[in-house]
Amino acid sequence: MSAEVKENAKVSMDPKYIATLTVRLFGTCLVVAFLLGLVNMVTLPNITARKKAATDAALKQVVENPDASEFSDALELSDDMTAAASGAGATLSALYAVTEDAAPAGYAFTVVSSGSQGNIEMMVGVDEADVVTGVSIVSNSETPGIGSKVMGNEPTASGTPVLDQFIGKSPEDGALTVGGNIDGISGATVSSRGVTTGVNAALAVAALMD
Amino acid sequence: MDFKSQFKEGLITNNPVLVQLLGLCSTMAITTSFFNGLGMGIAVTIILTLSNIIIAAIRNIVPDKIRIAMFIVVIAGFVTMVDLLLQAFVPALSESLGVFIPLIVVNCIILGRAESFSYKNGVAASAVDGICQGIGYTVVLLVMCVIREFLGAGTFGGGILGPGGIFDGGALGAGKGITILPEQYPMKLLTLPVGGFIVLAVLIAAMQWALERSKAKAEKEAAEV
Repeated sequence: MSAEVKENAKVSMDPKYIATLTVRLFGTCLVVAFLLGLVNMVTLPNITARKKAATDAALKQVVENPDASEFSDALELSDDMTAAASGAGATLSALYAVTEDAAPAGYAFTVVSSGSQGNIEMMVGVDEADVVTGVSIVSNSETPGIGSKVMGNEPTASGTPVLDQFIGKSPEDGALTVGGNIDGISGATVSSRGVTTGVNAALAVAALMD
Repeated sequence: MDFKSQFKEGLITNNPVLVQLLGLCSTMAITTSFFNGLGMGIAVTIILTLSNIIIAAIRNIVPDKIRIAMFIVVIAGFVTMVDLLLQAFVPALSESLGVFIPLIVVNCIILGRAESFSYKNGVAASAVDGICQGIGYTVVLLVMCVIREFLGAGTFGGGILGPGGIFDGGALGAGKGITILPEQYPMKLLTLPVGGFIVLAVLIAAMQWALERSKAKAEKEAAEV
């Protein structure tokens, strides 16, 4: 080590200077964190309300008869259910019972699986016979123009909208795989797989119900 | 401060994408339809301008050795606040631009301009720099969107025009674009990431050629005088 480098190292180790750096950086973080907390406090009620509305709309999309269907509040999740979902590679975050004219008509699951840019939160509806009645996306951060095609239910190469092809699938079809019994969207394989994983997890949990 | 020269710098001679080569990741990822380019361009321009102002305002209390760390904290915090506020109070805008905003935190144009311009210049000049660089970025995005959308999907104005677009009673970002090329002709390759690389490379090469040419011309004129 040359003398000059040593001298530089010595200067930057000056305790007073280090203290200044620490205090400034800590102060900045503190101010930013405080402002973030403040903004979060102001915006949280609005954002929660919007998310609730989005959840209700998503629930309506995944049942067979949206107009006749009613939904319970989120049911309590048992350890078996969360274990079944994570066994299939996704996280179960909520479960709603669906009733049609007061008769039980299946369940709707909110599952979270990982896409290409982050988590994909989706709603999967199944009827009493564990057959998928619909899949819809609640929130995602997939790449606009690529993964967003899957999220937007655009048609695959075969012409069927990518999310609609899950309708009618049941545990009898075995594990669903992209390229096997599910068509992905080219260029967006990871996003397509993410959704497929979520549906598999929902079916795994549905098999435990009733 | 000289607005005209700053504008020329942002748009041409020091264009953030084609000359500084900043923000390439977002440039290639989102330039598949006209609306995406416009949305990302507007979001970056606004946030770049505001973050430039903030950085310029606090530049005297930021120690040299930890400036990058402080820039990151300030920019990430600021972008998150904008994101939350949009989600809560302007849901329509958040629906259409929301996906771009988290991407901006990692867009190196913001950090690049903080480091190379607003850390060394006043608030007003930094604001102008943000606007000019933002416009330069937006223009490149739009050019790429138009090329990739036309050759890759055969449409123009995706997300805004065409069936389901805003003039067809649809929401922002929903339109399919006006079809120009019949369906069997477009090269799908161009809408995929590899197409982004190709189009960007061609644009950068064209830009460098044009800059070299105008430089050579200026030198020749100077020599003649």
